[in-house]
Amino acid sequence: MTKSSTAIKSSNLHVSLNGQKVLHGIDLQIRAGRWTSIVGPNGAGKSTLLKALAGLLEYQGEVFLFDQPLAHLKAKYRSQQISWLGQNEATSDDLNVWDVVMLGRLPFQDWMAVPSAQDKQAVEAALQATKAWDWRQRRLGQLSAGEKQRVLLARAIAVQASLMLMDEPLTNLDPPHQVDWLEQVRYLTAQGKTVVSVLHEVGMALHADDTVVMQAGRIVHQGACADLASHRAIETVFDKRIAIQAVGSEWVAIPSSLRSI
Amino acid sequence: MHKTLKTYAFQLGGVLCLSFAFCFLSTSYAVEITKPAQRIVSLLPSLTETVCALGACNRLVGVDRYSNWPESIAQVPRLGGGIDPNIESIVALKPDLVLMAGSARGVERLKSLGLAVITMEPKNYADVQIALGVVAKALGVPAKDSDRVWRDINAQVEEVSKSVPQYAKAQRVYFEVSPVPFGAGESSFIGETLQRLGAKNILTTSMGIFPQVSPEFVVRAQPDIIMVGDSNVSDMQARPGWTNLRAMRTGRVCTFTPKESDVLVRPGPRMVEAARLMSQCLVEKSVAQAKQNP
Amino acid sequence: MNLNKSNHWLFALKMLLLVAIGIGIGVSVGSSGLESLQNAWHDDVAWKIIWEIRLPRTLGAFAVGALLGLAGALAQGLFRNPLADPYLLGSASGATLGVALALAFYGGNQFAPDAYIRVGLTGAAFAGALLAVVLTLLLARGVQHTMRLLLAGVIVGVVMGAMASLIALMRPDVLQNMQGFLLGSTAFIGWSACLVMVYVLLPCLCLAWFFGFAMDALSLGESTALSLGVPLRAMRIVIVLLVALATGAAVAQTGLIAFVGLAAPHLVRSIVLVKNGNLALLSALMGGLLLLLADILARSLIAPQELPVGVLTAVLGGGYLLWLMYRNQDQGGLR
Repeated sequence: MTKSSTAIKSSNLHVSLNGQKVLHGIDLQIRAGRWTSIVGPNGAGKSTLLKALAGLLEYQGEVFLFDQPLAHLKAKYRSQQISWLGQNEATSDDLNVWDVVMLGRLPFQDWMAVPSAQDKQAVEAALQATKAWDWRQRRLGQLSAGEKQRVLLARAIAVQASLMLMDEPLTNLDPPHQVDWLEQVRYLTAQGKTVVSVLHEVGMALHADDTVVMQAGRIVHQGACADLASHRAIETVFDKRIAIQAVGSEWVAIPSSLRSI
Repeated sequence: MHKTLKTYAFQLGGVLCLSFAFCFLSTSYAVEITKPAQRIVSLLPSLTETVCALGACNRLVGVDRYSNWPESIAQVPRLGGGIDPNIESIVALKPDLVLMAGSARGVERLKSLGLAVITMEPKNYADVQIALGVVAKALGVPAKDSDRVWRDINAQVEEVSKSVPQYAKAQRVYFEVSPVPFGAGESSFIGETLQRLGAKNILTTSMGIFPQVSPEFVVRAQPDIIMVGDSNVSDMQARPGWTNLRAMRTGRVCTFTPKESDVLVRPGPRMVEAARLMSQCLVEKSVAQAKQNP
Repeated sequence: MNLNKSNHWLFALKMLLLVAIGIGIGVSVGSSGLESLQNAWHDDVAWKIIWEIRLPRTLGAFAVGALLGLAGALAQGLFRNPLADPYLLGSASGATLGVALALAFYGGNQFAPDAYIRVGLTGAAFAGALLAVVLTLLLARGVQHTMRLLLAGVIVGVVMGAMASLIALMRPDVLQNMQGFLLGSTAFIGWSACLVMVYVLLPCLCLAWFFGFAMDALSLGESTALSLGVPLRAMRIVIVLLVALATGAAVAQTGLIAFVGLAAPHLVRSIVLVKNGNLALLSALMGGLLLLLADILARSLIAPQELPVGVLTAVLGGGYLLWLMYRNQDQGGLR
């Protein structure tokens, strides 16, 4: 099955929450097989945009998933194509790690089906990827915040969907595990999967392939992360309180007051 | 997935309908009473007294915990009350007749266990007469005997009412049955007795048999005499505005001991004694009035 | 591999054993004690006591407890709130109002026409419970927002409860019977009642188990559940109806017995680690066992008199939970 080069496309997307307009006419294209990060200040509507793209919110306008209208897709098919990792969602302390990650296989399981060998493989792979395999029998309530986050990540990875939408996936993760996550994303995109993340750590976001810069419910810039135009856009939406500079082969964001002359 | 959901929804709907039907069609055995009952269980004090008045006290094998008259039933097993009759104990006694209030719990259950159950809850004189007739029939007591019992009751109540002096008549009475407050209306057996004794009831027929009264209504009505059980009197005194009631200020409140209360509130053969208690109250409290207003 | 599966089976087996023992004891205790059991073979009445009174009552107590336990587990999963109980959606007050209305209409004629007896208080209570939940659903305008559903349930509960109190106060004969209903009693359960409850219990158990996976997904958050393709709206409606059905059927037979629905899921979770699907089944088992024990104690402690069964469920269930709470303090207390 040939996938188009555009994973998600939105056209004139408007979203209102509680009567207030949050997204104003978003036109956006996200390329397949690449990692796109959405950046912007608080209240820019990043999470809302991500949710709308995942089909979890009502919206006006159009969203296309691999050139198919999102609204017309059956829930099961959509759940197999999109993997979602939300921010600050409730967790039940009672489930154990294995069961939580196995929930990620729900889109592929029939009603009342026993987990298949493929499901088990997917769960194992996901747990290994987030280095959570050793404590797969522990209860969620017994884990630290960072460990919990890794389990939730594993759950999202287990879906093995072509498109992964992640909202603040690095919450509570310490630097070594943030690096693990980076490697995981690179590995996923190498396999042809598309990753879209909302990250408020601009430094991490700059590691992505493409970036979408938002402010006040609108898109200010879309483009490759390496482009200087993207950097200028990012600096602008943050009121030039940060400066993006090269350190070695990577880009970093430094607070303006510490900027070297 | 939605198809399976639909089938389950239909199943659920089917279960709903069927269980609805089940609940409505609980089997109810109508047991005919073909011969005079020899083992009687009574779960209502007034019915217990009625049975005894018909001379069948010795046939009582079980009574409720509130039945306490006559003395001869002191040894009869107690089987719970109106709300919580002990089904097993009742069945174990092998009664061939169970008398209980219609509003008591367990009527359905006892019937479904094959017991002969008669439900009655007399509210006025006419009901008491009917109750006497029904119980007599079930006991095999000849109608003329039950008729005689009824005539006796009536005649004695008439005697009591004749003995009420003129000055004690036409007084306005408030009879409180329970502290909510519930009062005895004109159309209740208590109200009818009062009427026959020549008293007026501040609670008229239109208010119901045992209406719940607003304390304010009683204050406005200013009854001449208040009749109440002595355990409720302190409650009365605490009601706002009631200490100003003429009847309370002048001490024209008749309080009755628990034993006397039992007599007063049971619609059975002891209505005669109830009439005596009430007439005594009417005379005593109005003598006071007569003395005050010569 | 989920190692806890063997724990589940062991646990369930142990409970079933206890239930069987409970039934055995239940049949032997009562106002006439063991005598009835011994005499059952040659005494008609003793046989009747065992077979028509004690056995259906014991099994019925188990069934009611199972229905309440199941409803409690579903309510807690639906609202994602460990303090939820099956009466949250107004079903208790609806049943009370149904009973009050039935008593009020019935009480007009004290010479008991058979029709009223046939319709029975059970039908009225059942209908009342269901109608209250439907009203809650209408008021909350669907099941999208659990907060709204909870609020609507509370409102319906309070309003219907007030209406029932009004009726009871206007008619003193109704008041007495209502108090009995509110107190809750297993004393009046016969075979037809048992059949109705089993007939309701089985499909409810199946459906609750089916939806276990959906409730597990829901425990990860609404967005996540939706993204996994869970039919959230349909699922919620079905669960609400299941709770209504199970609660209505239970309350119709015994009146309001508190605490079983709330405590059973907690008791299960304190012993084994379970997913929602199995939690529903095990809660049913635990609730049934709890009420079974309470019923046995109710009629044997001060035989031939009886204690109210609701008091005993609170003492048994609450006592055990309290003990667990203090014992597990180092594990972070009750979950």
